[in-house]
Amino acid sequence: MTTVDEFARIALGDLPASLENPAMADWLQSALDELAKSPECGYLPKQKAATEPSALTALALLGHGRQEEAQPVLDYLARAQQADGSVGVREAEATPGWPTSLAVIAWQLFDSTNHRARIDRAMKWISSMHGEKLERSPEMGHNTQLDGWPWAAGTHSWLEPTAFALLAYRAAGQQSHPRAAEAIRLLIDRQLPDGGCNYGNTTVLGQTLRPHVQPTGIAMLALAGESDPSGRMERSLTWLQWSLNARTTATSLSWALHGLYAHGREVRQAEVHLASACERVQQHDQSPHKFALLALAALGQQSPLLRGGRPSSLPSQSDSTS
Amino acid sequence: MTHPEPFSNAPRLQLPNVNRRTLLVGGGLAAAGIVLARTIRELTLGRSSVFIAKNQKYDGPLVQTIRDGLIGCGLDPKEIDRKRILLKPNLVEPARDAPHMTTHPAMILAAAEVFRNWGGIVTVGEGPGHVRDTEMALVESGVADALDSLKLSFSDLNYEEVVWTPNRGRASKLPGFFFPRSVAEADLVVSLPKMKTHHWVGVTAAMKNLYGVIPGIKYGWPKNVLHHNGIPETVFDINASLPKTIAIVDGIDCMEGDGPIMGTKKQMGLVVVGTNPAAVDATICRLMDVNPQQVPYLALAGNKLGPLENRLIEQRGEAWQPLQSSFQMLDKPHLRSLVRHRGVLVS
Repeated sequence: MTTVDEFARIALGDLPASLENPAMADWLQSALDELAKSPECGYLPKQKAATEPSALTALALLGHGRQEEAQPVLDYLARAQQADGSVGVREAEATPGWPTSLAVIAWQLFDSTNHRARIDRAMKWISSMHGEKLERSPEMGHNTQLDGWPWAAGTHSWLEPTAFALLAYRAAGQQSHPRAAEAIRLLIDRQLPDGGCNYGNTTVLGQTLRPHVQPTGIAMLALAGESDPSGRMERSLTWLQWSLNARTTATSLSWALHGLYAHGREVRQAEVHLASACERVQQHDQSPHKFALLALAALGQQSPLLRGGRPSSLPSQSDSTS
Repeated sequence: MTHPEPFSNAPRLQLPNVNRRTLLVGGGLAAAGIVLARTIRELTLGRSSVFIAKNQKYDGPLVQTIRDGLIGCGLDPKEIDRKRILLKPNLVEPARDAPHMTTHPAMILAAAEVFRNWGGIVTVGEGPGHVRDTEMALVESGVADALDSLKLSFSDLNYEEVVWTPNRGRASKLPGFFFPRSVAEADLVVSLPKMKTHHWVGVTAAMKNLYGVIPGIKYGWPKNVLHHNGIPETVFDINASLPKTIAIVDGIDCMEGDGPIMGTKKQMGLVVVGTNPAAVDATICRLMDVNPQQVPYLALAGNKLGPLENRLIEQRGEAWQPLQSSFQMLDKPHLRSLVRHRGVLVS
């Protein structure tokens, strides 16, 4: 498990490769500087802070050796934590609690010792949260009985919150938890027959649905180090690799790169795609959420999301962005 | 112009040319109390106008069509001046290979131009239900470039700050809704849907499109909180709880069969406009040869949010009858009542 010591080493002198890469240095430095100005951030500039983009910003700053500037986020996440351990979408909005997993990853990677009580309470809440199981029906292609996580209490299990929960178990060193094992089964079950996945349906009323880049990337990241004899995971990785291009937008691209790197896949022209996506963000909404994800993806194998989420058995792989 | 209701055997009710007070006085004297009560309800609810334009193309004069339609349905352009107008297209998920799934960019631009020319402060807003990456939905649908071309601002409704609004419909158990700020504070919400079949509720147009104002950050992707509280009920409740809403429907290239995502393209060449979304949707159903009274959320909306019966809808522009073309509907038990009058289904 990566600890703050490893990231401290980065801060003490070893620049991430991405910042030494001239193709990425300009936009990346600019994005990081923007994030550092206001690390407790909303999805858009001047929006009220939200927990997801703030946690991702903290991880991006940490990954780039600027953890001091990320410290306010950890306090913000602590203030957002409820008595039951959950972390709502914004400090004043206790529900739904799906960002709890991201808060766990941030606390764990920054300072797991000092945040131990928070992490324990959050993990307890995560373990207590269940998606609603639905009766098996020929109209729904996926296994509706598998136990995953919903976006909001009282609803069915979906792909991204389940993937985030699995990443939290891994980050917290609880990858042997039975819920983590079930999450892996669910994420594999939700892969489309020809590869890729969407929000979490496979076939509905007999029709196979379309895959999308972002959920596929997140699922692949969470499934790092797992095997799938059915071959669907392999097809998802192939589809994901094939899907990326210069028009792939920031959040989809960033999660896709994480998903591919998590399985040691090479991504041609990743730097070019990242620069294109960042340019679009700069020209349009200047979203801190998007800048944070792009900055994380620019770290390649050094992304905290990869290091925090990787099972200890998976060997480290060389940076494949070049 | 009125037309007989094709899906009902009930005799047409001829509305007297009287005002509400006359009717109320007369009501005390009338023997047919049930008929009168129904008539009063219809009159107090009001009739509604729906405008249909045919032979429409995405590279045609859509600005003129939409402007004529809105004025024809009674919208006073002076009411728009300096008002906040939120245009809500349907961009449910990215689909470069299925442009008939999402509202065409030309429709969005044309509607924006109409309201801007009337002095409105126009924003386009959407909260896609199937993807978290809204930017991807904009790019893949071609809407991103279109918005740039007119320097139109966009609100990502999935992630905006929210405002709690009581549920004024109360068909579902939900006590209220979190609406994105740009929705809650809009003076006018313009539903800009695609005319499509829907594999769960039969038809999606003006009313169902407004699922997309519900923020995913609170309700999930898909917006499963709504599903668990009943799709028809929550469609009705959202429409009952929103600010003033009107509709401009992209019925040029439509979707039939396994809509709203996986269906096939059906060319209709129509633009349908109205100031009452329920009346617009009832007309859309008739154009698709679907019984509006059997569409569950319309059944809830009838006589509450707007008129469904053909005789209560003033048809402007083209009549719907010559333009009616049967949309293929999945042969599923929950959809059969919508097209029972046809006899033939596709699986």
